[in-house]
Amino acid sequence: APATKMAALSGGGAPWRRGWLPALQFIRRGSKAVTRHWKAMHFQRQKLMAVTEYLAPRPAVPPRCLAPRKETLEEDNGYVRLLRRQVEEVFRNNRMIAVCQYNSMPGEDVVLMRHYLRKHNIEVKFVLNEIVRPVLSQSKYKNLLPLFVARNILLVSPETKAKEMLRVLKGVPQINLLGACIDDTILSRQGVENFAKLPLLEAAQGQTVGALALLPSQTSSLLQRGSAHLTALLDQHIRRLQAGETESPAEPPPAQSS
Amino acid sequence: KKMASKIRVVLRPVKSIVVRFCPFESNVESTRKFLGYINHKKIQTTNRNCEVTADVRHDGSEPLVDVMFADGERLIMKGANLTTIEMLTALGSRCNAKELKEEQKSKK
Repeated sequence: APATKMAALSGGGAPWRRGWLPALQFIRRGSKAVTRHWKAMHFQRQKLMAVTEYLAPRPAVPPRCLAPRKETLEEDNGYVRLLRRQVEEVFRNNRMIAVCQYNSMPGEDVVLMRHYLRKHNIEVKFVLNEIVRPVLSQSKYKNLLPLFVARNILLVSPETKAKEMLRVLKGVPQINLLGACIDDTILSRQGVENFAKLPLLEAAQGQTVGALALLPSQTSSLLQRGSAHLTALLDQHIRRLQAGETESPAEPPPAQSS
Repeated sequence: KKMASKIRVVLRPVKSIVVRFCPFESNVESTRKFLGYINHKKIQTTNRNCEVTADVRHDGSEPLVDVMFADGERLIMKGANLTTIEMLTALGSRCNAKELKEEQKSKK
């Protein structure tokens, strides 16, 4: 190809100077200006491109040294509001709310646990900390706030069956009871165990009534002791006289008046 | 920033792990997350015999992780000022070291 070019240039016009034309040495390889492969730029063009490269403008002070802009994520979409309302409802309607740490459990275990707890009317709720925390901080349950870190679940129930709940949870090793709020009283794990050991309310009431009634009954028996003693003596006297009457029917029974 | 779920811990040389914390304190977050990560499927499958117990107290004591190894060694990590990732990497490095030792012993 260079030979043909030379021939074309040299053979074309008359006033071509014989000799070496500098334009020819740049087409040594024979490729044209527009190629399908990447072609190296002319060295002058390379230099120009290097000099005119884009330099991004840098701020004088790096942005981390300045005061951080308060990016208020106040999106507050309806879903978040709905979840918050649900949490508030849960706190209002249920007497017993237990907070447990949830470490990942296989699915069937979760379903089984839910089943057993449902039998005792205890519902299992999965909660997100970022929803529960604002609800709690505004309500009166401020002391439950430090509990809501890492993954948690809530066990809620309108009845307070602590013993059955503890029994079910003992069978599930991956759920750890952290604390509970029973009848607006915040209890730790130890407190829940103690609460479970308490006897039933009716039994406790019966015991209290019995203890209270003990002293007055003692007083009444003391007061009646004198007259009871008298009646017992008179009865004995009658019996002795009756027994004596069967042997000798002359004596009349004396205890008719009393 | 390293993701804690990427740290592989092989629990074969571990006999038992006891995690003690008091949930009403404020410095228990990393310990609780550590407990959550240990109980993950991936790490539990490496050793089914390892018993993980969680001891929940209310006496203001600081969070503690007590690891008992199969060769009698004991590792106690006080999690009050440690992050979860630090605790996981410490445990992971020790487990790996023990594994290597056991492999060398079995090769001999």
